[in-house]
Amino acid sequence: MIRGGRSYVTSPPSFSNDAKKLLVCTGNNVSVFSAATGLQITSLEGHTAPVTTLIVVPASSAAQKILCYCWTASLDGTIRHWDFSGPELLKTVDAQVPIYSMVIPCLLSEPQQLDSSKLVAYVSVEDTSLVKEGSKELRGHIRRFNLAKERLPRGDTLKETEEPKSIVISPSGEFFGIRHKCKIHVWGVPSGGGSRNALAKKMTLHHTKVINAFAFHPTERIIAAGDVTGRVLIWRSFGNRKLALASQKKNARSMVDLDNPGVRDGDDAESCTTWHWHSAEVNVLNFSSDGAYLYSGGREGVLVVWQLVTGKKKFLPRIGSPLLYFIWSPEPTLSSVVCADNQIHLLKMPSMEISRTISGIKPPPSLPKMYEGLSSTVAFDRSSGIAALCTENYCVQLYNLLNDRGISEVQVCERNHQPGDEITVVVTAVALSLDGSVMSTTEVKLPEDGIGGLVSLKFWESEPDNKTFTLSTIVYEPHKDAGVSAIAFHPTRSMAVSTSFGGDFKIWVCNSDKSQTEKDSSWICHAVGSYKKKPMTAAAFSGDGTVLAVAAENVITLWNPVKNMLLSVLGVTLTPITKLCFVGKSEFLVAASNFPKPELSVWNTSKLSLSWSYGLRIEAVTSAVDSSTFAVLALVPKTFRKSKSKKNIFRGRDGAILLFNGSDPKPVSIWTVMKAQGGSISFLEGDKSQLRLAFVNGSHEYVVFDPSSDDTHERSAIDYEGLVGEEETGDFGYTSLYGQLPDYDKKRKEDAESLATPFISSERPWETIFSGSTLNFPPLQKLCGEFFESLMEKSNSVVE
Amino acid sequence: KKPLKNPNLLRLLIASPSLFSSLLFRLQSLTPGETEESYICLTSASFTVCLCELFQGKMNLVNIRDVLTSFSPALDYLALSTGDGRIKIWDTVKGQVQTEFADIASVEETNIYTSGGKGHLSVDYTCMKWLSLERKKKRKLGTSILVLGTGGGDVLALDVASGQLKWRISDCHPGGVNAVSSSTKASCIYSGGADGMVCEIDPHSGNLIRKFKASTKAVSSLSVSPDGKILATASAQLKTFKCSDLKKIQKFTGHPGGVRCVAFTEDGKFILSSAVGEKYIAVWKTDGAKKQSASCVLALEHPPVFVDSWGETDEKGLYVLAISEVGVCYFWYGSNVEELSNAKPTKVALATEDYSSLKQHKGSLPTIFAAKLQGVLKPGSANAFIASGLLVKPSFQKMVLQFGNDLVLNASKSGILLPIAQSASKSKKGQASVNRVTTLDRAHAEDALLPIARVADLHEKKSVQPQSSDKDTDMVDQSQADYVETFSMEDKLRSLGILKGTDEPSSLSYASVIDGIDLEAHLPPKKLKSAVLSMAPSTAFKTLEALVAMWQTRGCGGRYLLPWIYSIMVNHRHYIMSQEPKNQQLLNTLHKITKCRGTGLQPLLQLSGRLHLVTAQINKAAGNETQTTLHEQDIDESEDEEEEDVEEHFYGEKDNDSELSSDDGKDEDNTLMEEI
Repeated sequence: MIRGGRSYVTSPPSFSNDAKKLLVCTGNNVSVFSAATGLQITSLEGHTAPVTTLIVVPASSAAQKILCYCWTASLDGTIRHWDFSGPELLKTVDAQVPIYSMVIPCLLSEPQQLDSSKLVAYVSVEDTSLVKEGSKELRGHIRRFNLAKERLPRGDTLKETEEPKSIVISPSGEFFGIRHKCKIHVWGVPSGGGSRNALAKKMTLHHTKVINAFAFHPTERIIAAGDVTGRVLIWRSFGNRKLALASQKKNARSMVDLDNPGVRDGDDAESCTTWHWHSAEVNVLNFSSDGAYLYSGGREGVLVVWQLVTGKKKFLPRIGSPLLYFIWSPEPTLSSVVCADNQIHLLKMPSMEISRTISGIKPPPSLPKMYEGLSSTVAFDRSSGIAALCTENYCVQLYNLLNDRGISEVQVCERNHQPGDEITVVVTAVALSLDGSVMSTTEVKLPEDGIGGLVSLKFWESEPDNKTFTLSTIVYEPHKDAGVSAIAFHPTRSMAVSTSFGGDFKIWVCNSDKSQTEKDSSWICHAVGSYKKKPMTAAAFSGDGTVLAVAAENVITLWNPVKNMLLSVLGVTLTPITKLCFVGKSEFLVAASNFPKPELSVWNTSKLSLSWSYGLRIEAVTSAVDSSTFAVLALVPKTFRKSKSKKNIFRGRDGAILLFNGSDPKPVSIWTVMKAQGGSISFLEGDKSQLRLAFVNGSHEYVVFDPSSDDTHERSAIDYEGLVGEEETGDFGYTSLYGQLPDYDKKRKEDAESLATPFISSERPWETIFSGSTLNFPPLQKLCGEFFESLMEKSNSVVE
Repeated sequence: KKPLKNPNLLRLLIASPSLFSSLLFRLQSLTPGETEESYICLTSASFTVCLCELFQGKMNLVNIRDVLTSFSPALDYLALSTGDGRIKIWDTVKGQVQTEFADIASVEETNIYTSGGKGHLSVDYTCMKWLSLERKKKRKLGTSILVLGTGGGDVLALDVASGQLKWRISDCHPGGVNAVSSSTKASCIYSGGADGMVCEIDPHSGNLIRKFKASTKAVSSLSVSPDGKILATASAQLKTFKCSDLKKIQKFTGHPGGVRCVAFTEDGKFILSSAVGEKYIAVWKTDGAKKQSASCVLALEHPPVFVDSWGETDEKGLYVLAISEVGVCYFWYGSNVEELSNAKPTKVALATEDYSSLKQHKGSLPTIFAAKLQGVLKPGSANAFIASGLLVKPSFQKMVLQFGNDLVLNASKSGILLPIAQSASKSKKGQASVNRVTTLDRAHAEDALLPIARVADLHEKKSVQPQSSDKDTDMVDQSQADYVETFSMEDKLRSLGILKGTDEPSSLSYASVIDGIDLEAHLPPKKLKSAVLSMAPSTAFKTLEALVAMWQTRGCGGRYLLPWIYSIMVNHRHYIMSQEPKNQQLLNTLHKITKCRGTGLQPLLQLSGRLHLVTAQINKAAGNETQTTLHEQDIDESEDEEEEDVEEHFYGEKDNDSELSSDDGKDEDNTLMEEI
């Protein structure tokens, strides 16, 4: 099983003390990369939920630079201490509440006399006990923990907010703070370590706009804050009154009456200046290690360096994506910028050149509302395990799922991507032929004020050893003004079909002229078809390519793709079909429809009749080429998920992959998954004739696994029984992220023995409702109703 | 002084005249090696001549002897060292350089040698091996190290992921390290050097575990069996040792010089080896007598520099892959050793069509320089991962090697710095390729096929459905046929054997046989006879067959055919009769045709007679000329047939006669002879 494509940008990375390693939070793990080569060296595995904070224990002297200790905090409620050279887990502290952010001031302020018994951390947690009772409760708490103890009591709460906030600490370790709407709350860390009574002192700075980011100066009392409109504010000498240390108290008092320019509401600061450059919100603020410069960045994707004294600026433009974090390393020549497109750039410092990039799968593009759910932005090359994913910057990224490595990017539209610009072009679909040699994309130029919209369809071809695609054919307005709803490729020939909402589909063939060389092939329209002028919503070729199925709203039409002959029409579904898929070489055809009533139906094309159906909302369908198995990615309805008995199965997962075998309506196996919305699945049949299933979720994380392997089955049973509640060892990485539902088969067998007829209301009527002959099925409306009613009933009864 | 083997350094020395004397001095200390000859030349009087030879030899000949390559265990990276002291790590997925290591060794050295910064040219790597380390805790991300041996006798381990030197053993083999190897599990590393010693090294720490003398001469190559139990060392003589107690097991002699590459088969039962300059690979059996000769020899066109094998002798069969000095990949397959020895190698080479254009680029020809067998698809074909192209820009591809099918790969020219003239033309090409994109506008679907509706609408289909429920199985078959079959009735009939697909080709063959005979032309009997006599009997017979067939199928009028048939039968009857079985059939068909044509004769004559009568009457009555002409035409046709048939009757009888009495034939023959 291969997992990958994880986001590197969920929380700020951190350099090791010798600046040779870069630690990055990747989901449940921390990955250690080499700064010199950009390759992953090792990973810290153990957390069972995403890691949110990573603190490398700083070295106080040159001799300590080789020490590789770090603290991590995670949403699973634990704080762990690691030696990442090993990698070895040294210590686990259970905080019992999800930790969103953590700072350990004494690591920074007094590293010499580091005493583990006095280690105090300030954490931002979510009080889960308050979650259910209402949204008005203040769930985010800032608490003080003593990490010396193994298990933590509640801790002293410093502040309560609606949402858990991230804590920012000053490089000197003297102050830490959070931003809360238009305010910044700053605490001074009590000196003298961990005496319990010395609570932190607090002060607040006010602003008129929502503050997006802020940073402390490493040596002086300066705070820089960026707001949503792009202003950068600099408060100097904050906290002279409220946070004053004992020795400075007298001075502080004398300054009370001074008129402080730019400071609002009598805030405790000497002056406040505002710098303007950013046009959109500021996400990144960081002072250089000597405090002479301030780095800022935001949605424009430009890193700005301000000279603190003069306010002069230097830029690193064209990073190409909104910036998220900027961190500097102990080595003055190296720093790092983290971008929203899942890239970590290592910068050579004084010149600010990007020397190396650690990159993952780029996140999916944000599509306008009207294209949500209609687009298919992920395509798979089954033989080589390559996925083609649409990205924000009008590109298709080719990513090798088996190696977890990007291969290349294909620029689909000839236009520059500037983050923050208004979106005018959307790549709505990408499809790959079965052998991966041809790619097809569609893009829509959004109309401005209803004028000037343009749909175009493009065919790209690749040479076998060359891993990039070159444009072969552009078709402007392939279906007049209507948008393209689906593209499908013929399994063996160079033939493709595109369907449109305008009521027709077109079959495209590649005419490679014999007189010309191979490269000169172009695609032309071979045939046009329509059925009663109904919108065509989905298309699929059969396994041998002799039949083309096109969904005309709620009927399925079967065509001979070569002669463009209508062969027959398959019955009527209730709602428009969005997905079609032939089941391997068998005669079954899977159709899925979503709106308004979700339905998964399986049709027998030889009998021209409905074989069975479920009321599931299907996100993706795939079938194996050779066998008769197919898999669907279903979104599990909330009501079902929230019912108490199911809660420990789903644990926040919103989707399930169901594996079916041919005509059998009972799923062979089921896996529950996270972020199924917008996800995509496909069988991969590469080498060794081994069948694997790849699942790419809505945020482009993926997993490749063997659907028939035994260990996952066994684990599913264990998982269901609740024997393994929280995996402590951390070896069960799979279940920690993607657990499993039990085999329905086992359950059903038991029930079938006890219940002779399927329609007697049992405790689990929904499990037996589908067993038995399909002919005995009640009408679909009744069935769906009953199915979900049974679910509802059950949850209610349990609650009562 | 460390001996000097790096050719590039040598070149540098030569370039500066002041160093000539030191060069001469150093050449004395050269260790025996593969490039020895060319260097020794330098000491001779014809100094400059040899220099030229050396340089030209380097430039014109493709030679990958000095190239060190090693794939990472997961085949996602390739380490490449071209002899300049730098190691490039290529990403095989992206086809880009991932990292470049230069000067690693000297970075560590700087504090020891005050001179420092000798540059990467001072290091010359002699061997390279990429190993994955086994971890006690099973972690997904196993670390892998690149183990390198230098000409100075050091063994280095490089942690590629972190880009750091992991460990280093200085002066492990005085005189130079020649080979490093380890088993697949990498429990320990073995290195062999010019001093004839073999060192066992712990891969994690770099500690020397054991050291022993393997031979009195320099160890030129060594290999560990995949299970890690047997070690094979080679100088000119191949020796195997038990890894546990370092006892000598076997000795194989036969190689004339130092062995360059040694490899075990997957099951460890055979050793493959090849010496410097040898154009073959020897296969030795490990579980045999103490001393034995090679059990088989695989020949190549050029000396191999790399050997890899896959598979076992028992079940899977043995696959051997080798790369020769000129960058051609050879592939053998045999289910056992005997078969292997008889196998002809399958070659994988790069296309050399643009040899001349590439020749001016400093002789760096594209080659295949690294390959690795990955697995076996089915007997005789294996997956291989191949790195090819220019050393400055290799391209990587996974390909299926089918035993018996030579492959030619396309060489990409990327990575070459083209001269200006050419680059201009290339940029033009680039523009052309942009122009080549086809653009279709709204009118793209004008000549597209429009749908042919077979099922008009749903109602029609509904009326069909009740039937289908009655006869489920029938419907299944029918509709299955509809969907699965293409719509050619002919194909189906052909597949069922109803329709014989032999019509066209046979008629073609007839045409080819008859070619040269102008059937339509009315030849006088004498000319016809001479034409027939000029035919060879066999061709005559074939012609006869063809003519009969044509007559049967009415491909040509009998009027033209029959004289020919007659003539052939008369003039070549001996041959025809000698072709007894076929002949019998042919004559029978001929007989049948004549008979059935004959039976049709009488009614036709009657018909024609009546028609004559009728037309005569009509003519008399109306005098309509057009009709008469029509009828006359008819009559003409029928008359034609009459004529033919009459003739045929006559000939047929003749034919039968000739069959019955050969004497007649002889007589006739004699008469013919006389005539001639």
